[in-house]
Amino acid sequence: MNKLELDIRGQICPSCLLFTLREVDKNAQHIQDGDLSLSVKTDNRDAINTIPQALGNMGYTVQVTKLDGYYQIDISGNE
Amino acid sequence: MDLYPYIVIASICLILGLGAGFVMHRSNYCIAGAFRDMFMFKQTFMIKTFVLLVIATMVLFELARQAGMLTLYPFPLLYSPTPANVIGGFLFGIGMVLAGGCVVGTLYKMGAGSILSAISFLGLIAGSALYAEIHPLWASFIRQTTFFPGRITLPQILGINPAIAVTLISALGIMTIAKWYRDGSLVRKAYAEGYMQPWKAAILLSLISLVSYVLIGMPLGITSSYSKIAGYLETIFAGEHLNNLAYFKTVPLKYTNPLTNVQLEGGGGPRFDVISAIQFPLVAGIILGSAISALLLKEFHLHFKAPHRQYASAALGGVIMGLASRMAPTCNVWHLMGGLPILAASSILFLAGILPGAWTGGMILRKLLMTNGRGPS
Repeated sequence: MNKLELDIRGQICPSCLLFTLREVDKNAQHIQDGDLSLSVKTDNRDAINTIPQALGNMGYTVQVTKLDGYYQIDISGNE
Repeated sequence: MDLYPYIVIASICLILGLGAGFVMHRSNYCIAGAFRDMFMFKQTFMIKTFVLLVIATMVLFELARQAGMLTLYPFPLLYSPTPANVIGGFLFGIGMVLAGGCVVGTLYKMGAGSILSAISFLGLIAGSALYAEIHPLWASFIRQTTFFPGRITLPQILGINPAIAVTLISALGIMTIAKWYRDGSLVRKAYAEGYMQPWKAAILLSLISLVSYVLIGMPLGITSSYSKIAGYLETIFAGEHLNNLAYFKTVPLKYTNPLTNVQLEGGGGPRFDVISAIQFPLVAGIILGSAISALLLKEFHLHFKAPHRQYASAALGGVIMGLASRMAPTCNVWHLMGGLPILAASSILFLAGILPGAWTGGMILRKLLMTNGRGPS
């Protein structure tokens, strides 16, 4: 499975949510088919909560991991 | 001058600031975001907790007033309504969305290491300096357009007891909030470590406002300190020009501090006065409180990699917000967390301006962020 990375650390609100939604939108078919997953790096405490919420509502599987000073949000299709 | 009252006031404000900064970082209590997301994403989660903040403050202030704990009611530096409140609120709404945070949001985000917020902080100071240039013109506009002179709050204008108005509005508010509470829309699933649910932050911030009103004599205010910094900078780099600016000479605050019972005064000019004693420790406290929270979570990091146009947006937003804070006059914290809870007519007008302002700001920001595709790689 291919992995697409999106690093939005240090960016202005709400670009984290906007850019993530745009990337997911662009690659919706591949993510849903299971041949692509999206990995978002963010340090924005708002985005950490809003991105999983928004994508969860859209039916994606979302996993949040805290790494060194930032969070990684992994988005994949529903298996 | 007797320093005692200043030391007491400064210590209290530092503690209040530390508490507010910590709470705001944990809950990411972004007021600009609450207004913006309501329009940009149809997300009402944060704005609901903000309604809770206003209603809780309203109830607390009224109880304190009835208990005789508010010696100054309405509090100082609130004026009769004028269209300037709406115009200032509108510009403020645009500015805070472009800056990605309001006058306190900028502080707590900067405390956690946001370079963009540090840039909007500089913008806020520049905007405050800019206002001094147009002050004579704007002050005369305010004088000519003030209606209900001598009356500040809605109950004063209507000639009714504030208790009646507050009871009616807070009863409606509490019923609405109870409904949100029951359907679970005041709580969200949290992934951020150490996350404080914003409804708790709203209650804590209303208590901080109450302590400030009771002990300092007025709720939280921030932005006159930005004018003071602008004034100090002009003293260094443009002293002669500063002498010609009437705004920096005004002393709008003359009041008796309820805790020390000493008569004090202050203004936006570059000198040490009671506004310095109140606002500088508050500003420092918010930045520090947030930094402490971020350090404890190991989330304090500086990042410089944002696309260029985001830096421009932060700077421009800061300038607009700084200018609007003086035009309105004063900022969202003063109006929405202080004036609105006592139903000040100027604060209601400020709210009427900030709503379309946040909507407009959201439209501009979306264009700015999404066109030309210069997103992150």
